[in-house]
Amino acid sequence: MNRSRVLLAIAIVAISVSSLRAHHSFAAEFDANKPITLKGTVVKMDWVNPHSWIHLDVKNPDGTVTRWMIEGGTPNTLIRRGFTKNSLLPGTEITIEGYQAKNGANRANGADLILPDGKRLFMGSSGTGAPKDPEAGK
Amino acid sequence: MRIRVSGLVATTLAVTLGLVATTRAQAPAAAPKAAIAPTSAAAPKDAPAPKTPRTPWGDPDLQGTWDYRTITPLERAREFGTREFYTEEEKKALETRAGRRMDGPPEEIRPGLTHAQYWTDPGRFISDGYRTSLIVDPPDGRIPALTGEGKARQARAPNRNNAVNASWLDRGNQERCITYGLPSASLPTLYNNNIQIVQAPGYAVIVHEMIHEARVVPLDGRSKLDEHVQAWIGDSRGRWEGDTLVVETTNFNGKNNYRGSTTGLHLTERYTRLGEGRLELRLTVSDPSTWEKPWTVLLPMRPTEGELIEYACHEANLSMFNLLEVARDAEKAAAASGKAPGAADPADDKQER
Repeated sequence: MNRSRVLLAIAIVAISVSSLRAHHSFAAEFDANKPITLKGTVVKMDWVNPHSWIHLDVKNPDGTVTRWMIEGGTPNTLIRRGFTKNSLLPGTEITIEGYQAKNGANRANGADLILPDGKRLFMGSSGTGAPKDPEAGK
Repeated sequence: MRIRVSGLVATTLAVTLGLVATTRAQAPAAAPKAAIAPTSAAAPKDAPAPKTPRTPWGDPDLQGTWDYRTITPLERAREFGTREFYTEEEKKALETRAGRRMDGPPEEIRPGLTHAQYWTDPGRFISDGYRTSLIVDPPDGRIPALTGEGKARQARAPNRNNAVNASWLDRGNQERCITYGLPSASLPTLYNNNIQIVQAPGYAVIVHEMIHEARVVPLDGRSKLDEHVQAWIGDSRGRWEGDTLVVETTNFNGKNNYRGSTTGLHLTERYTRLGEGRLELRLTVSDPSTWEKPWTVLLPMRPTEGELIEYACHEANLSMFNLLEVARDAEKAAAASGKAPGAADPADDKQER
């Protein structure tokens, strides 16, 4: 098998992996053509299934405040990856990069979460980020 | 479906080109190697077989919480033919990519995919080190062809792509938090890739973390239920064959079809514990009216720390409410502009495999 065939096969494998079933359809709810960046203060985080939600107060240019809801991962995954209830406390200033609801509601799917010190959630972790990753060292 | 797949092909090829650059930069001299047999799957011939622990009442002890995350796809890429194992180069490239998706900044979200990868927990390693597919039989690592009847049934099935989300009934059972179904709940997906096995004299309980379903499996040789008694996840009966727990599941109600399966779906699970660190599941799926022949998955599992975490799927299923609201708003906008509401996005079908 020459190199290009190897790479083609890997591309196809990557598709298979990407096609894993997810809980809710992104496309039914959010608009991939509406990327949005929100900087605000965490009001609360709902640790609920099937998806967590971050409530964020975002100050508008005119001084008013809009409350946004940001959809995140399922609590099971967050906990396993080392993200706990203390990771995002009310009052924390964060930046969310995500995709807005199709109908323009103040809801977004959170693609990235940037903490006050500039760190991006989960970045730079080894393994899954969980304290004892059973896959670690495999 | 065709549109989605070709979009994915294009995007993935682009991603892979990026991967090539990364791989080359990191491992400039890596030459393709011959396929390497996994080291974890087969112990040396002269080594003693791993001893299966026993329960206090003498049954093989399979109890524990088991993790089956892997990035090995269920079906092998056709390009690999009957090749069971990746080369070292392929394995490294795939695992590097998977790790980057877990830890790195989110890649661009493509329509149809939900959530940034890093909110999920799909694993980052190839199964058994090198396996190219979870399906080990047939030898091409792929689900066998549909029967004529299976094809006709599929052609008659309503196309969810054309649904307009008139109600929650237009969404899948999993999205509605009814069930993840079988065999789906036994196969790797984006998160909750864990099962727990609990045993008692005469019983084994298999708990699936995905939508926290528990199957209580009698091992006392009782006959299976009458064929008219049907359930979403069927009815399971078990027995020991040596140290292997064999679970046969039938009596499906057919309302949660798996890739077109019917009430004739028959699952045979074989759980074998190989030492402390490995539980092996061989799952054979058959449905004679759907597939031309049965197919078998090999899924190794590792013990995992801690307990299963409850996945109370309907705890706050806001997404269901939200997507219906989006659909109604789209209808209002279409009515206001004098146009008929369009069909849902073709990519909007990802809740079903």
